[in-house]
Amino acid sequence: MRIFSKERPEIPIVNHLKEDGTEWTIKEKLWLGLSLPEYKKQFFRNPVNWLMIGIFAIGVPLIMQRYLFGLGAVTHASNDYPWGLFLGFGLFAMVPLSASGFMLGTTVELFGRKDFHPIERLALLNGLLGYFFAVLFLEVDLGMPWRLPYPMFVSLGPAAVLFLVAWHVATYLTVQIAEVLPAFFEWIGWLKGKRIIRKMVLGLTIAGIILSTLHQGALGALFTYAPSKVHPLWLSVNFQWIHFFCSSIFAGLSMVIVSSTLIRNFMAWRCDDEFKDNLDKITMGLATGASYAMITYLIIKIVAVAHDQEWSYLLTGWGSYYMLELGVAVVLPMLMFAFGVRNQRLGLIRFAAFITVVGIVWNRLNTALVCYNWQLYQEIPHWKEVWITVTLYSLYFLTYRFIVYRLPIVYEWKGEK
Amino acid sequence: MKKTVSRRNFLKGGLAGTAAVAVLKNKESQAAHDFEGYPEGMGVLVDLTRCVGCRSCEAACNKEQGLPEPAKPFTDYSVFDEIHHGQKRRTDETAYTVVNQYDVPELDHPLFRKIQCNHCQEPACLTSCFVNAYTKTPEGAVIYNSKVCVGCRTCMIACPFYIPTFKYSSAFNPRIMKCIFCYDTRLKDGKPPACVEACPQEALTFGKRTDLIDMGRQRIRNTPGKYVDHIYGEKEVGGTAWMYLSSVSFDKVGFDTHVPKEPILNSVKDFLAMVPMVLTIWPGLFVGFHLLATRKENIKKQEQENDEKEEQA
Amino acid sequence: MQTRKKILRTALALAIGGVLTTPAQVWTMDADDAPESVTIDSLATLYVPVEFDHALHVEITSCEQCHHHTTGGEVTDKNCARCHTTSGEADVVSCGECHESDRFHEKYLKTLEAPELYHIDKPGLKGAYHLNCVGCHQETGGPTGCQDCHTMTEAGEKLFDTHIKHSPAKGHSATGH
Ligand code: SF4
Ligand code: SF4
Ligand code: SF4
Repeated sequence: MRIFSKERPEIPIVNHLKEDGTEWTIKEKLWLGLSLPEYKKQFFRNPVNWLMIGIFAIGVPLIMQRYLFGLGAVTHASNDYPWGLFLGFGLFAMVPLSASGFMLGTTVELFGRKDFHPIERLALLNGLLGYFFAVLFLEVDLGMPWRLPYPMFVSLGPAAVLFLVAWHVATYLTVQIAEVLPAFFEWIGWLKGKRIIRKMVLGLTIAGIILSTLHQGALGALFTYAPSKVHPLWLSVNFQWIHFFCSSIFAGLSMVIVSSTLIRNFMAWRCDDEFKDNLDKITMGLATGASYAMITYLIIKIVAVAHDQEWSYLLTGWGSYYMLELGVAVVLPMLMFAFGVRNQRLGLIRFAAFITVVGIVWNRLNTALVCYNWQLYQEIPHWKEVWITVTLYSLYFLTYRFIVYRLPIVYEWKGEK
Repeated sequence: MKKTVSRRNFLKGGLAGTAAVAVLKNKESQAAHDFEGYPEGMGVLVDLTRCVGCRSCEAACNKEQGLPEPAKPFTDYSVFDEIHHGQKRRTDETAYTVVNQYDVPELDHPLFRKIQCNHCQEPACLTSCFVNAYTKTPEGAVIYNSKVCVGCRTCMIACPFYIPTFKYSSAFNPRIMKCIFCYDTRLKDGKPPACVEACPQEALTFGKRTDLIDMGRQRIRNTPGKYVDHIYGEKEVGGTAWMYLSSVSFDKVGFDTHVPKEPILNSVKDFLAMVPMVLTIWPGLFVGFHLLATRKENIKKQEQENDEKEEQA
Repeated sequence: MQTRKKILRTALALAIGGVLTTPAQVWTMDADDAPESVTIDSLATLYVPVEFDHALHVEITSCEQCHHHTTGGEVTDKNCARCHTTSGEADVVSCGECHESDRFHEKYLKTLEAPELYHIDKPGLKGAYHLNCVGCHQETGGPTGCQDCHTMTEAGEKLFDTHIKHSPAKGHSATGH
């Protein structure tokens, strides 16, 4: 961002006080300390924003269409495929990609690995936003979105897996908000709030692990309701929750690698030296963790095939597709991680992380859509459904960027903390 | 930003964690126990050898349930040739029941199969619903409450027979649409459902589920060679209130013969059983990890404090 | 209008399934004792009553074919023969005397629970007619389509939504033959 020139040393804002000793107002902080024309100028100079404008120009009317004329108007609403892209991507893929919050929370707070501290807040934010947008996707997909609180307060069905998901996602969202709040409190300068949360941090972190283990697993367990529908290779009644939980570990870690890479490359002005200097080392640490999770995942995938006696399926077309998925989305990045860590090849690691992220999305879409009803037919989502999904994801991107631009996520607040 | 957790804070954290566990555990422990069907419930025995595909049942259901007017009259048999996505007709928001025709090589005439909700003894739709929108009534019907449904459509995922459908066409009043065994209008007063009453062939026999199983057995036994020796729905997914007899193996007339023989809920049990374990073991385990990991730091801190105290003293 | 009148008339005239007096003296029933024709109207709401040409059917087939063991002739059905080879002519032979017109009525269903009852699976009257008629007609090439035997009433047309304009498949009878 070229706007931050030498003449304006106080920008980007890292402190409550301006050069002349007066305080930044919240409004000024929101505008990044720029004047309105300056802000506009930098906004429109960025080609990404133009892309976003294009996506929203069509996406927003489509979302309105969905709310005015029903799901049938924008999706290939189908009784055979009750869940489409909104849940297949928005819920089943967004949630594992947001496992970063509890992973790094645990690493730093519980295991005392302070060396990962510079990336902790980014991981927490990545988690929070992922969950928040998963709920947003759900709100687009639910038939009666206005009844979202029903499973909590109006009519309870506690024997259902989705009940657990609902409660846990809601609770965990609260936990994550609490975990990200300190950054916000620093930024607005309300230190008391920060201290309150500081005291709860261990409880929050442990609650985070419990809730995450359970609901990441629960998302997998949801498919065990359809033992005769999902292709046996993608559904193991006994191991499904472990598969989903275990893959969420490397999914979350890879997502942090990807987002930190993007931030460092395109938002270098926002990163402080601690973040920039430590990122390579941290990335290697994350990659090591991810590759361990991947080998574990691979083993339990094979165990599941052996346990359910599904070897013969591997010889079918579906079997080839399955092996392609495992090969490209797990084995390949796993080897790349391992090689990259050993030889300090950070480019390779980052590329592997990107493959992993795409691979997880692929796996979840396979389970929820492609291999669901494998004996019937494959449903191809309506273009409007795809567009709305992209629109919501763009909103996620914008929110992410908005927050990283401002709050002390990848830099340390210089003012009072 | 130093983040060492002092002992006091640690204790608080631990307590908060345990409290959360206690609250959650309560909820989860309910999740584990399962739902039992009512053995005294009513059911219907559908005999494929009797059905002639007249679609009277479809027509009767349409009127009884106040469903929208169909695209083709119920006397139109060209619907049997309809194929959508390579599949024969299925239930949708306009039809709670449909009859399909199957040409079976070994027979010189086609067979017809009526589908509708099978009113499972331990319904997957019911057990998967997180707002309890479904109820299995003592009379045997699986009914649905549109007032609490949030439209997540998990029941449609869970139903092994692809029965519940969603009113996708509605933005403000969507709901699940499915056969309710004519519960409100008939079953609860002891009357047979509209489709059963309409069937000229008595291909649909209404009665107590246990009696129907006896009847089915008697038909199989009394007319050797007429039926395959199986009542579909007696054991499938833990038993269904609507059951089927057929003269050819069931997979030839569109039945899924790979559905589990036990309730769908059983395949979810592995996960449900794990929930309380995580809730009870995880907190202790991770607190332990934490103590181990930060032991050195804490010792150092303690020493420092002691030193300070000594100095003061 | 004509159909209405006809329904009314026949309903008044005949009881379910054509109950006619049964000659008491004869041990085995004779085809001559049977009615010429029977008006089947017990269920005539959706379709007009059927004028069943009993005489014609007597010519085509034997009594046992439809009346099981009740007419006193040789019992051919193996299942009937288990008990009824010597039971001779029954007091009643008309269909509706044995086959419940209200087959799924709660009260009737209760009677099925009697542990000593063998006939737990006796079709109701409507079922008995159709199973018997259609089964045979399929084999012998008799009429099998619904309206081949009985015309639909207005109520029937309403139920089946016949007003919907959608060309019905030609020459396709209900059984798909
Ligand atoms: S057939 Fe499907 S909808 Fe009907 S009770 Fe069973 S699971 Fe529920
Ligand atoms: S039982 Fe009632 S709701 Fe169900 S198919 Fe029959 S008529 Fe329709
Ligand atoms: S009414 Fe009876 S005979 Fe006619 S299609 Fe339905 S089940 Fe078959």
